[in-house]
Amino acid sequence: MRATRTVLFHAVSAALAILFLFPLLWALLNSLKTTAEANQQPPTWFPQSLSLDNYRSLTTFDQGIATYLWNSVLVSALTVIGSVVVCVLGGFGFARFTFRGKHLLFVATLAILMVPYATILLPLYILLARMGLQNTLIGLALVLVMFQIPFGIFLMRNSFEAIPRELEEAALVDGCSNYGAFRHVSLRMVMPGAVTVGLFSFLTSWNEYLAPLIFLNDGSKYTLPVMLVNIRYASYNIIDFGALQAGVVIAMLPCLVVYLLLQRFYVSGLVAGALRG
Amino acid sequence: MSPVTLTRVETGAPAPAAAPRPSRGPAARRPLTGWLFVAPTALIVAALFLAPLGVLIYMSFTDWPLLADPTLNGLDNYRAIANDDMFLEAITFTLVYTAITTVVLFAVAFVLVAISNSYRRGTRFYRTAFFLPYVVGVAAASTMWWVDAHDQLGVFNQVLRGVGLIEAPVGFLETPGKALFTVIALVVWKFIGFQVIVLLVGLQSIPEELYEAARVDGASAWQRLRYITIPGLKPTLALLTVLSVTGSLLAFDQFYVLTHGGPDNSTVTVVLALYNKAFQSFRLGDAAAEAVVLLVALVLLNVIQLRLLRNREN
Amino acid sequence: MAHLKGEDTAMFTRVVALAGTLVLTLTACGGSDNSGTASTNPDDGTQLTMWVRSATDQFSQRLVDAYNQSHKNKVALTIIPNDNYLTKVGAAAGSRSLPDILASDVVYTPNYTKQGLFQDLTGDVKGLPYYSSIAKSHLDVASYQDKIYAVPHKLDSSVLFYNKNLFKQAGLDPEKPPKNFDEILAYARKITALGNGITGWDLAGSCGGCNVYTLFPYAWADGKEVLSADGKKVDINNDSFKAIFKLYKQTSDENLVDSSDKTQDGATWPANFLAGKVGMLALGSPIVGDLLKQTAFEWGVTPLMSPDGAKTATFTGGDVAGIAATSQHKAQAWDFLKWTLEESSQVEIIAKNGDLPGRTDLGGNKYTAADPRTKIIAEGLKNGHTPFALPFGDLFNNPNGPWLETVRAALYGPDINKALADGQAKIQAGLDAAG
Repeated sequence: MRATRTVLFHAVSAALAILFLFPLLWALLNSLKTTAEANQQPPTWFPQSLSLDNYRSLTTFDQGIATYLWNSVLVSALTVIGSVVVCVLGGFGFARFTFRGKHLLFVATLAILMVPYATILLPLYILLARMGLQNTLIGLALVLVMFQIPFGIFLMRNSFEAIPRELEEAALVDGCSNYGAFRHVSLRMVMPGAVTVGLFSFLTSWNEYLAPLIFLNDGSKYTLPVMLVNIRYASYNIIDFGALQAGVVIAMLPCLVVYLLLQRFYVSGLVAGALRG
Repeated sequence: MSPVTLTRVETGAPAPAAAPRPSRGPAARRPLTGWLFVAPTALIVAALFLAPLGVLIYMSFTDWPLLADPTLNGLDNYRAIANDDMFLEAITFTLVYTAITTVVLFAVAFVLVAISNSYRRGTRFYRTAFFLPYVVGVAAASTMWWVDAHDQLGVFNQVLRGVGLIEAPVGFLETPGKALFTVIALVVWKFIGFQVIVLLVGLQSIPEELYEAARVDGASAWQRLRYITIPGLKPTLALLTVLSVTGSLLAFDQFYVLTHGGPDNSTVTVVLALYNKAFQSFRLGDAAAEAVVLLVALVLLNVIQLRLLRNREN
Repeated sequence: MAHLKGEDTAMFTRVVALAGTLVLTLTACGGSDNSGTASTNPDDGTQLTMWVRSATDQFSQRLVDAYNQSHKNKVALTIIPNDNYLTKVGAAAGSRSLPDILASDVVYTPNYTKQGLFQDLTGDVKGLPYYSSIAKSHLDVASYQDKIYAVPHKLDSSVLFYNKNLFKQAGLDPEKPPKNFDEILAYARKITALGNGITGWDLAGSCGGCNVYTLFPYAWADGKEVLSADGKKVDINNDSFKAIFKLYKQTSDENLVDSSDKTQDGATWPANFLAGKVGMLALGSPIVGDLLKQTAFEWGVTPLMSPDGAKTATFTGGDVAGIAATSQHKAQAWDFLKWTLEESSQVEIIAKNGDLPGRTDLGGNKYTAADPRTKIIAEGLKNGHTPFALPFGDLFNNPNGPWLETVRAALYGPDINKALADGQAKIQAGLDAAG
C-alpha cells in the first residue's frame, strides 16, 4: 500500500515536472539543430546532428548578439545595485522610524502595482526626456528600479521588522551610531531578503522588453529581449526559427543559473520578508 | 488602504517569538534620520511614478496630439468612454479572465504544493521544476509558446499527434475558447511557481507544535486541515489573491504576444484596448482617461479586498 | 547576415566607386541642388539617426552601410519590431525624441503627416531631375494638403506566386499560371488532391494587412475604387468583393488551404509556400529574395487579376522615409534620402538584391530585367495602387479593427453578403469619425 502510493506520487509528480520543463528543454534541443532542421515541418524530435549554426547566426543579427548581451548585463547590473540599495535603505526606514508622510509614501509605493504599465510609458518618457535621461541605460535602469520598489520595499520592511529589536538595542548600548547599528546587526540578518530583491530585479531587468524598446533610441543600446522580438518580426515574415530559439536559450540561461545558485537565500528571504509582517 | 491594513493581513500567521512591534524603537525618535533612509525611495517614486501619473491625469483632460501642444477639453474624454464598445466589452472579458485565472491558479497550485511539501525523496527536484518557468522572462516565454503552439512547426501538436490523441493540428488559437485556454495555460505554466513557493513558505511558517498538539488531542487529518492549516494560511492566501487579481486585471503581454486580442476580438483585455487606443489610433487623451478610470477602479477594489479579508479575520 | 558578406563587399566597392563619380558630377554641375542649402555641402560628417521597422531590416541596413562607406555623414540605423513601431514613434514624438530620418509603412504614413511628424520636402522632391518617375502611388500617400512629406524607401508589390513543381505533379502546365478565379479554384483542387499535407491555395485568415495587400488588387482590377481618392468613402459591399470572398471561402471550406491559415496573423505567412507545400500564394515581392535563394523548387509569378481575369492590378506597398519635424539636420538627412533615390543606389543595391526600384524609369534595369519573373513584377507596378485614408492602419491593419472583423465574418461566417454590408457600415463609420 505504502509502496504503491509512493510510486503513484512519483508518477504524477514526474509527469507534471516534465510538463513544466519540456518547453524549456525543447527550446534548447531546437537551438542545437542545424538551421534547416530547426525550420523543418513537422519538427524532428532529436537533432540529427548537433550544430551551433543558430548561435553563430546570432552574432551577425542586426548589431550582433554581443552588443545586446553587454547592454543587458549593464542594465541588469545597474538595476540590481540600484534596487537593493534603495529597498534596503527604504525598508529599514519604514521598519524603524516614524516620520510625517510615512504612510502616504508607503501607499504610494504600493500603488505602482496598480497602474497599467503600458499607459504610463508615454508620460514617463516625456519626463525622462525633461531630465535628460532618455536614451540612456541609467534612465532605463532607474525606471526598472521604480518598478521593483513595491515588492522590494514591502519585503525589506518586513525583513527588518522580523529582526528582534533587542539585538539592535544591544548594539546601540555598545556605542554604535544608528548607522553602525543598522550596518552591523541588521544588514547581516536581512541578507536573504536583500538577495531576493536582487534576484527579482535581475529577472525583471534581464527580461524586460517594452521599457528598453521605448526608452532607448539607438539600436546599439538595445537589450536581448528586443533582439528576440526583432528576430520574430524580421524581413517580411521569413523567420529563422533556429536563431529565434537560440536567442530564447541565451535569454533564459543566465536566469536559470542565477536562480539555481541563489535558491537557498531566495526561499529564506521570502520566509523572512513576505510572510511575517 | 493604509500600510497598517496590509501589515495586519500579514500578521495572521502565528507569529514567531520575536514578534514585530509597531515602530517604536530608540531610532524611531529621529524622524529626520528616517527620512534620510527613505529618501531614495521617495525621490524615485516622486519623479518616476507620481509625476508621470500627474501627467497622465492631466492628459486625460486634454486633446493630446503627438507633436503639437495639447488643448484642454474638460470631461470629453471621460464622456467618450460610454460610447467605446471595445473598451466596455474588454471590461467584461477581463473580469471573466481574472475569475478563471485566479481559480485555476489556486487549484493547480494546491496540487503542486501538496507534491512540493512532501517528505519523499526527489521533492526538491519537483519543486525546482515547477518554479523554473517563472524565472524565464515573459518575452522569452511567450516567444517559446508562440512557436510551440504553431500548427506545423509547433511541438504541442507534434506531441498530441505522437501519442495518437489527434490527427489534424488543434489550432491552439483558432477559436475564442481555445485561445483563452492557451493563454491561461501559458499563465499557469509561467507564474504558478511563484504561487507555489509563497504557499510553501506560508505552510512552513505554521508552527509544527500546533500539529503535534492536535495529534495528541486526536484530531483527524481533515480537522487539522480545517482548524490549523487553512487559518494559518489565510494571510498568504490573501496576499496571493490580491496579487493574482490585480495582475490579471492588468493582463497585457500574454495576450499581446499570443492572440493580439483575436480571434474576432474575443480576447481584448482592458489594457490591450487602451494600449491600442493610445498607440494604434494615437488617441492619447482618450486612452489616458480610460487608464485613470482603470486605476481608480483598481485602488477601490484593493481597498475593498483588503477590508473584507481583514474583517473576516477579526 | 553572414551568407551575404562576400556579396556585400563586392557591392560596396562598386557603390563607393559610383558614389565617388556622382559626387564629382554633382559638384561639377553646381547649383543643381535647389533645396536652399546649396551654399554648403550637406555631406559634412554629421551623425544622423534613422528608424525603420524590422520588416525592412536587411534592406535598410544595406542602404545605410553603403551610404556610410561613401560619405562623411554617418547614419545610425535602429531597427524596431514591426508590432511596436507605432508605439515607439508615438512615445518618441511625445517627448520630441524622434530620429532625423523616420521610415514608415506606407499605409500608416497619413497618420504621421496629419500629426505633423514630418518636415515638408515638396521643394526638394520636385527639384529632383527624376521627380516624375518616383513611384507616384507612394508620393501620393506621403502627401497631405498638396505638400510632399516623404519619399519611397522600399517598394513592394503584391502578385500571385506558384510552385511549378507542384503544377507538374498535379498534371498542370507549369508555364500556364491561372488566368481567372475559376482556374484558381480548379488548380487549387487538383494540387490539394496530391495529398501529403500539400495545399493548392493559401490565405492569412487572421491578418488585416495581408488581406488588404492581396484582396484589394482583385477589386481594383475589376474596376472598383475600394477607397475614394480623398480617403473619405469606402466601397467593399459590391460584386467584386462578393466574388473574391466567394473564392476564398470556398478554398477554406473545401480545405484547399492549410488548417493553420485560420489563425495566420501574417507572422509566418510565406513559410508553407517556401517549404514547397503550397501550390499558389498571393503575396508580394518581398519574398522574391528568399525564393531566388532556395533551390528546392521552381516557381513562377503572375499578376493578381479581376475575378473574370480581364484585367490585373497590384498593391504598391512598402515603406516611405521622411525627415522628422524635430530634426536639426534637414540638409544632411535629405542628402541621404536623395542618395537612396539615385540610379546607382536603386540599381546596384536595391534591384541587385531582387527588390523593386522606387523609380519607374529604372524598372528595366539589368538586374530586374534579367529574370522574367522580377520583370513581370516590375511591369505590374504600372497598375499599382496605394490606398489613402487618414485612419487606414487603424481600420485595416489593426488586428482589432473592423476590416479584419469583416474578412473573418465573410470567410468563416455563414453569410458573405451580410458580412460585407456590416463591414461597409463599420469602416465607413471609422472614416467619418476621423473627419
